[in-house]
Amino acid sequence: MSAGSESGPATRPDERLLNLVIALVNTSAAMTKQQVRANVHGYGAAASTDAFERMFERDKDTLRALGVPIVTVEGSGHSDEVGYRIDNEAYALGPVDLTPAELGVVALAAQLWSDKLLRTDMSRAMTKLAAAGAGDAAEDVVAGLTPRVRAAGDAYGPLLEAISERRVVTFRYRAASTGQVRARRVEPWRIAARGGGWYVVGHDLDRDAVRVFRLSRIDGRVRVGPHPDAYRIPADVDVDAALGARVGAERTARLAVAPERATALRARAVSAPEPDAGPPVPAGRDLVVVPFKTLTPLADEIAGHGAAVVVLEPADLRSEVLRRLRAAAALPRTTEEEEPDGRTR
Amino acid sequence: MAERADDRLVRLLGIVAYLDGAGPVPVEELAQRFGVTPARIREDIDALWVSGTPGYMPDDLIDFDAFSLENGMVTLTQSRGLTRPLRLGTREAVALVAALRAMRSTPAVQAAPGRADVVDSALAKLTAATGEAASAVDVRLGGDEDAAALGALTRALSAGRRVRLRYVDAADVVSVRDVDPWRLLTQDRATYLVAWCHRAGGRRTFRVDRMLSVQVLDVAVGRVPPERVDVDPVVQVVSDAGESAPVAVLRLASPARWVAEEVPVEQVTDLADGSFEVRLRVTNPAWLRRLVLTNAPDVLGVWPPQVAAEVVEAASAALSAYGEA
Repeated sequence: MSAGSESGPATRPDERLLNLVIALVNTSAAMTKQQVRANVHGYGAAASTDAFERMFERDKDTLRALGVPIVTVEGSGHSDEVGYRIDNEAYALGPVDLTPAELGVVALAAQLWSDKLLRTDMSRAMTKLAAAGAGDAAEDVVAGLTPRVRAAGDAYGPLLEAISERRVVTFRYRAASTGQVRARRVEPWRIAARGGGWYVVGHDLDRDAVRVFRLSRIDGRVRVGPHPDAYRIPADVDVDAALGARVGAERTARLAVAPERATALRARAVSAPEPDAGPPVPAGRDLVVVPFKTLTPLADEIAGHGAAVVVLEPADLRSEVLRRLRAAAALPRTTEEEEPDGRTR
Repeated sequence: MAERADDRLVRLLGIVAYLDGAGPVPVEELAQRFGVTPARIREDIDALWVSGTPGYMPDDLIDFDAFSLENGMVTLTQSRGLTRPLRLGTREAVALVAALRAMRSTPAVQAAPGRADVVDSALAKLTAATGEAASAVDVRLGGDEDAAALGALTRALSAGRRVRLRYVDAADVVSVRDVDPWRLLTQDRATYLVAWCHRAGGRRTFRVDRMLSVQVLDVAVGRVPPERVDVDPVVQVVSDAGESAPVAVLRLASPARWVAEEVPVEQVTDLADGSFEVRLRVTNPAWLRRLVLTNAPDVLGVWPPQVAAEVVEAASAALSAYGEA
């Protein structure tokens, strides 16, 4: 009698998976499900055929997600039943000959992620590199560095699965402009992190256009569609273009700055190409010319300086700063009594 | 906490593949290589010992030299075909390659050509081994920090030298400080230096883009960092004073949702009309005034009322500088 059909305490899932891998690596042709159930240690304990089928399907998915190449073999000869084996050619990690310095870089990169899922994926990758015989890491090349990216959140897992298998996703999304939550159907292309935010770039099916969604504005779960290979991902996805970053077009701002104020802006100043061109500098202020690429962060920074900085040019920067200042000057007066979530409730 | 089955499986397979190539290895060394305790390695060996090909007779099982294990040495005598290291799964390859590409994008790596070369060669070797599937995730870190400042800081860090900073803080005050650099942290859109500040007599975090000049001194660092430098400058803005810091509440319109996402708030309350309220603890009033001032078009209410009044005053003064009364 084989060990597979022994009764007794259930085998731990990790040990059952291990025995399945060993069986499928060593099988001469392929094993049918029935052969797995009857012979592989851990499967005999399944209470019913249904329970076995579920267990086997789940285990196959787990192994494939770990990179184990399980292939199906069409039934031959006396049996029509599909068989399974592990493709021994595809199983192995190619030679990765990392130098100690390169390993130090990889070890540091391993600390980048904040999400549990990404950290798990990363630590498995590191275990596999260790199994491949990677030597000691030398960390002096990257001494003192700590790269870090904030957590992507729950949407990351399903979105990555969808991109890898080119499946459509659906989710509810809170529009920043209106605050309204709407259902969206998207063919996802890339997951991206820029400037502290996580995004998915893809083709919005209802709007038939490229759209960017911020993961933190996804409301609830991301559902992955049933059909793999449902679309093609363009070869050249330009994440930064989709995010609207205007890269390259550098402009200069002419600012009138109160003496000894706005030191951070002064530190970035360049010498004015034509000091006398443009609007005059008010008396008692210094002309400071600052190069910039994106309008909003500079408008925020300048508005934050209040009366210390006046924008002379360009007009769009000036009006963005004025828009903030006018709104701030008109802020609603509040009282202690109205304070939300406080003493009055 | 119980270990996940798939994590343990990867290690079990890894141990066999590694031992098959490496020969006898001490338990301690194996534990260190796979990042677990020696006790865990012994449990793993016990599990491997009873695993094998169907039939599960003694000759079918993975086997170790029992005598050598008693002496703390792991000697594999039968691998049952698990001789090669398992390739990376798609998700693992994505996490690894995206992390390296993100590191390549950090100003601290770009400022030092030698570093960038090492990251590039590691990336080239790993993408060759994992395939191109890894482009699904694309992470960029850091902003437009000055390469000269970063170069000086990285030199000081690797040589263990003190630096003299001219620094402008969020309240627009310039100071000159001698600091012992500990870590250069790139988080999201900015790079920060975590250091021991001799002027303040304590640990401080400095934004690199607010450094007006960086001078590497001919003095060795006096204060070495603790074993583990916990760094989270974004939270530090608010949490330095912890529970004792005053509470502020902002009611914001939907377009300012990033505040709830990027500022470490204590509590977010969504309101029926799509607006929301955030509660935060603020040690630096200048920082809060700036936050309100720059987001004023989307600010619907500010508490305590004192803060609102200060912002209105600052904005009115600025408008008169533009000639608007």
